[in-house]
Amino acid sequence: MSTAKRRRRELRNAALMVGPFVLILLIFFLYPTYKVIALSFTDAPLIGEGEWIGLANYAKLLNDKLFYTSIWNNFYFVLLTVIPTTVIALLIALAVSKLKGRMQALILTLFFLPYVLPVSVVTLIWAWMLDFQFGILQPLIEAVTGKSVPVFKNPHWVMPMIAVVTIWWTNGFNVLLMIAGLRNIPTDLYEAAALDGATAWQRFWRVTWPLLWPVTALVLTLQLILQLKLFDQVYLLSKGGPFNSSYVVLMQMYREAFQLNNGGYASAIAMVLFLIIVIVSVLQFQLLRIGGRRK
Amino acid sequence: MSDTGVQLKDVKKSFSVVDVIRGVDMEIKRGQFAVFVGPSGCGKSTLLRMIAGLEDTSAGKILIGDRDVTDVDPADRGVAMVFQSYALYPHLSVFENMAFSLRLAKRPKAEVKEKVHEAAQVLQLTEQLDKKPAQLSGGQRQRVAIGRAIVRAPEVFLFDEPLSNLDAELRVQMRLELARLHLKLGATMIYVTHDQVEAMTLADVIFVLQGGYVQQSGAPLDLYEDPSNRFVAGFIGSPSMNFFNATVVARADGRLTARLDGQPDQSFDIAMTTALEPGTPVTLGIRPEHLVVSEGEGMRVTVDVAEELGGVSYQHGTLEGGEAVIFQQIGARHGMHGTVQTILPQTDRIFVFSREGDRIR
Repeated sequence: MSTAKRRRRELRNAALMVGPFVLILLIFFLYPTYKVIALSFTDAPLIGEGEWIGLANYAKLLNDKLFYTSIWNNFYFVLLTVIPTTVIALLIALAVSKLKGRMQALILTLFFLPYVLPVSVVTLIWAWMLDFQFGILQPLIEAVTGKSVPVFKNPHWVMPMIAVVTIWWTNGFNVLLMIAGLRNIPTDLYEAAALDGATAWQRFWRVTWPLLWPVTALVLTLQLILQLKLFDQVYLLSKGGPFNSSYVVLMQMYREAFQLNNGGYASAIAMVLFLIIVIVSVLQFQLLRIGGRRK
Repeated sequence: MSDTGVQLKDVKKSFSVVDVIRGVDMEIKRGQFAVFVGPSGCGKSTLLRMIAGLEDTSAGKILIGDRDVTDVDPADRGVAMVFQSYALYPHLSVFENMAFSLRLAKRPKAEVKEKVHEAAQVLQLTEQLDKKPAQLSGGQRQRVAIGRAIVRAPEVFLFDEPLSNLDAELRVQMRLELARLHLKLGATMIYVTHDQVEAMTLADVIFVLQGGYVQQSGAPLDLYEDPSNRFVAGFIGSPSMNFFNATVVARADGRLTARLDGQPDQSFDIAMTTALEPGTPVTLGIRPEHLVVSEGEGMRVTVDVAEELGGVSYQHGTLEGGEAVIFQQIGARHGMHGTVQTILPQTDRIFVFSREGDRIR
């Protein structure tokens, strides 16, 4: 068979294999993305065409106080979750990796279990546990603060509690990534460090931490993106209240699109959130890489 | 100060129910180059790791110099180890790798720099100090690992199969460098290998390990010339010794005659101090280099494969009884493939073993 013929056949096979995926990507991802961008420059309702209004939606957004509250709440939530969940995952992973064999598998499963639950179940469980009247965690809160607190109806408590629920729910996955990272560090290095006179703390700080850094950076970045997209937990636990103290960008987008029928404006909100996520995560990843190189 | 480098007293190690080291006594003098050699699974690496303190000792005592270090932390034993995988810290430069222990001990910067540069000079690594381990060749990484050990100025250097990840040419070169390094530093060194050539060329004293015991220890040529059992006889020397089953047919004053089971018309007259009864089954051991082609009577070997190395050739074949034979010849192109050759051993170079494998002298 000639080279040209063989190459043509290879190309055909490649096209056949990639085709279905490209098709689905075009229909369900690229086209909607294009539509969102286009919609954000119109005054269209959720369904149907609208008039081209240029940057009016974006201009309106810049004067929308609720939008700034939402953005603020988003970053507050990121602060409450991203670093804490990474630190907790690292601590759990370090502890679990000290265990051996089946015991390790068992404990790892226990930590991973919440991750397989759907968000509706997670929020239901925590809503019950934190219920103002009969929640089993209220005595604990009472012991600390002196009185029961309706946590999802209290502006100071609501974001931290949603953060707790989110960390409990998603931490297992981070633990898994961290464990995989820890297993990649050869035991030889710890033995060499022990012979070099490193204490347990020095072994962590000079061997584990720098060698685990790529995984830690990955976890931090994934978490940042994930937590900026916060919606379900807020929607199910507090509906953005009280007094908008848990209102986040996706809540606002949802309300504009599906409750107020402002498709164009909602698209503009989505675009801005998208840009924020891209900028912040790229920025963070670069910063982490520089930080990693310096070590 | 005594001249003891490392001393083991009835050291044992078991992993749950498996006994890996079953009672080892040894004494390595200060400044000696000791080699632990044996097949894989013989416990040689475990024994080294016990000396390093990376494995707990189940029973017995380990002494370094005059100190009992059996329960001392690895860092406080005054040992440095070079790992088979090199175990270099991948995120640190060569300089920092070598300076690691000094940094942990919070030594002054000037001292760190001086010691690292000194070691780098010895190992010709001065040019590489700013590189990361990933940018180095295998041999250079090996040298960095050795450099890391040198910087610590330990009483005892431990090497765990340090050359087995290198290619053959580099291995020979590094072997020489290690020998020179030993002369230069004069420190006690313990070296683990499964390669008996490395053991023979490097060691002042070899410990042959098998089954959790030291089978024999001594200077390389002593082990070669006077093995105390069949295992050591077969392990030391390359290619390994030929073994033939034989039966004692007669004995005289200080001599005995043994007949090959595989070729009953051939018997050998061997000088012995032990008197064996006629009819006793024995095993004769003869090294390939002590078998000579003869014109007349002898062992008839059908040669099937020749390994020709240029200077010497190893002829592989079988006796009439089916026992495998290797014999060595000087030069090459003997064209013996497929022929039957008659060979005779030098009779003063025949070793006699009991069928259980013990040497009978």
